[in-house]
Amino acid sequence: MKIVRRATLCLLAALGCLAGLIGGGEIARAEPGSYHYSFWGDTVVAPAAYKATALLSGEGLGIGAFKEPDDLYVSADGLIYVLDSGNNRIVVLDSQFKPVRMIDSFVRDGQADTFANPQGIFVTERNDIIVADTGHQRVVHLDAEGKLVKIVEAPKSEMLNANFAFQPVRVAADRAQRIYVMSSGVFDGFMEFNADGEFTSFMGANKVQVDPADYFWKMLSTRKQRSQMIMFTPTEFTNLDIDDEGFIYATNGDRFGDTIKKLNAQGNDILRREGYFSPRGDIRFSPAVGPSRLIDIDVGDSDMYSVLDSNKGRIFTYNGDGHFMYEFGGLGNQLGEFNTPTAIERVGEDFLVLDKALGEITVFRTTEYGRTLNEAVRSYYRGDEDKAYEMYQKTINMNANLEFAYVGIGKALLRQGDYAEAMKYFKRGKDQKNYSKAFLLYRKEVLRERFPVIMTVAAVLAIGFLLARKFRIINRGKKVAANEQRAV
Amino acid sequence: MSKGLFKFPLYLIVHPFNGFWDLKYERSKKANLILSMLILFLLVITNVMSSQYSGFLVRLYNPAEMNSLMEVLYVVVPVLFWCVANWSLTTLMDGEGKFVEIFTSTCFALIPMILINFPWIWLSNVISLQETAFYSFSGNIAVCWSLYLLFVGNMTVHQFTPSKTIGTMLLSVAAMGFMAFLCMLFFSLIQQVVSFFSILYQEIVLR
Repeated sequence: MKIVRRATLCLLAALGCLAGLIGGGEIARAEPGSYHYSFWGDTVVAPAAYKATALLSGEGLGIGAFKEPDDLYVSADGLIYVLDSGNNRIVVLDSQFKPVRMIDSFVRDGQADTFANPQGIFVTERNDIIVADTGHQRVVHLDAEGKLVKIVEAPKSEMLNANFAFQPVRVAADRAQRIYVMSSGVFDGFMEFNADGEFTSFMGANKVQVDPADYFWKMLSTRKQRSQMIMFTPTEFTNLDIDDEGFIYATNGDRFGDTIKKLNAQGNDILRREGYFSPRGDIRFSPAVGPSRLIDIDVGDSDMYSVLDSNKGRIFTYNGDGHFMYEFGGLGNQLGEFNTPTAIERVGEDFLVLDKALGEITVFRTTEYGRTLNEAVRSYYRGDEDKAYEMYQKTINMNANLEFAYVGIGKALLRQGDYAEAMKYFKRGKDQKNYSKAFLLYRKEVLRERFPVIMTVAAVLAIGFLLARKFRIINRGKKVAANEQRAV
Repeated sequence: MSKGLFKFPLYLIVHPFNGFWDLKYERSKKANLILSMLILFLLVITNVMSSQYSGFLVRLYNPAEMNSLMEVLYVVVPVLFWCVANWSLTTLMDGEGKFVEIFTSTCFALIPMILINFPWIWLSNVISLQETAFYSFSGNIAVCWSLYLLFVGNMTVHQFTPSKTIGTMLLSVAAMGFMAFLCMLFFSLIQQVVSFFSILYQEIVLR
C-alpha cells in the first residue's frame, strides 16, 4: 500500500517535473516529498512552500555548542530567544542570526541565581522573558534587561492535591500579564497565574479518550485487576502558543480526536475546522508509524498556524478556517530534515526549527509558491478580495491541486457578480454551500433575462393545447355523427 | 400491440393488483421477458447517467472511483440474487410462482426507480441546496413505491397471504446475505485453486 503510494508519488513528481520542463519557468517544480491532501483524502504532489537555507549551530555562532536546547521563541521585534537547556542559558540572536547576548543567571535578593534544565520560554510584547525553570520547579519572570520581576513557585490551593508536583515545561503569557503554565503530570489543563504570580485556575482540560477495546477489557476485569490497570485520564497538552488576541493555541498527544485546540478565556475550543479535513497533521499514515504526534504549535499573523509533528518531523500549516496550506520538513540527515525536532517558530515569513539532539536550528525560507500562498491567505483574511483573487490565481497556476484556492477565487467572483464563473470555481473547490449561493443568483439572473421568451413559449403552448383539445372534441363529434349516420 | 406493450408497464405501476395478475396469467411470457430486460437495461442507464450527470449539489463523486461496469453489476446482481433467493424459498413454501414470473414481476416493480429518478438527473442540475430536499424526498418515494410493487407482485405471483409474503420477503433478504457469503467463499477458494495450479505450472516450466 505504502509502496504503491510512494510509487505514484514518484510518478506524479516525475510528471510534474516534465510539465515544468515543457511549460518553462512559470510552473513551480514539485519537490519530491512535498505533498497536499485532495478533497478525497488522496496524497497529491505540491510544490515546496519552504526550503531550508541555513543551519545554525552553537559552534557556528561562536558561543559554544547548544546542549539539548528545548525551546525557542521569537519576540515581536524579531529577536530570537533560544533556550539552551543543557547549558542552562538563554541565547538571544538578532534577525541576522548574530548572537546579541546571553542570559545564564539573574539576581535574586542580592544573590546570583541560575536555571536548572529549563524547558520552556516565552517573551512578551514588552520583551519580558518568562522561563519554565523545570529543574527548580518554578517559573521565572525577567524583564527586558534580564532583571528579576517575579518567581512563581509551586502554588498552594484547595484545587490541588497534597502531593502535587509543580513541573512547568512550557509557558505563555497574555497581554494582561497572566501566565499560562503547562506542567507535566497535570491532566486538568493549563495552570493560569495572575499578574502577581498567584494561581487562579485550570483551563481547557482535554476530554478523556477511551479506546473501546480497552473499555471492554476493563468491564470484564475484577476490581482488583482494574486497580492495577492504567487509569483513563485525559491526555496532557504537549505545547501552547498565544495569538495577538489572547487565544491560546494548544496541541495534545492524542492518537485521535482534535489534537489542535484554540482555547478562549473560558477554556472552550473555538478552532475553526471548515477545511476538507479537521487539522491534525497527516491524515494518511501507515498503522505501524501511527498518526502525527504534535509537539509544538506556532501562531502566525492572519490566524495562520503551524504545528510540528515529532513522529515524521513534518511541519503542517493551516489557515484560520482550518484549510491545510502546506507541509515541509521530515526526518533524515539532509539539510531541511531533522533528528529530533522539538520547537518551531516564525521569524517574519521564515521558519526556525530547533533540533534537540543535534543542537541545531534549521532556517527555512519561503519559495515563490509559499510567498504567494501566504499573501493570498493574508489578503483574504484582511477582506481584500481583489488581491486575494489575484494571488489565488497565481497559486493555482503553480499548484492546481490546491482546492481551497478555487473557493477563494469563487468568492471574489461572486462578489464581482460573475455568478456562472463563480459556480465553476466553487465546483472545483468542492464547496456545495457557496456553489448553491452562486447558483441561486445565477438562476435568478437567467430567468429575469429570459422572462419574455419563457412566458411567450408558455403562452403559445397553453393556447396550442387548448386548440388541440377543442379540435379533438370537434373530430370526435364528427365521428359520432358519422357513426349515427351509418346506423341510420 | 406495440402501443399496448409500452402502456402496460405504466398501467401496472398504478394498478398493481390487476397489473400483476395480467402479468402472470394473461400476457405472453416472451413479451414480458423482453420488457423485463428492457427495464433492467434502462435502470442501469439511469444509474450510470445519474452518477455522471447529476447536479453537483446532490452528488459529489470521485471520478476516479466511477465505473460504469460496476454500476451494471450493482443493478443486475442484487436482482438476480433476489430472484434466486425468493424462488428457492417459495418453492419450499408452496409458492405458485415460476422463476420467470418472479423475475418479470421483480423487474416490473423497479419501474418507479426509473420513472422518478431519470428526470431528476437533469432537474438536480437546476436546484439549490435548500431544494435538494425534494430530490431526496422523491428518491425515497421511488424506493417505497418499488417496494410496494415488489410486495404486491410477490403476493400475486405466489398467491400468498400478505403476512406470508412479508415473511418470505424478509427471509429472502436473509437468504441473499447467505448467498453473498457463499459466493465470496467460492470465489476465494477458486482463487486459491487457480493460484495453486499457476504456481505448479511455473515450477514445471522454470525448472
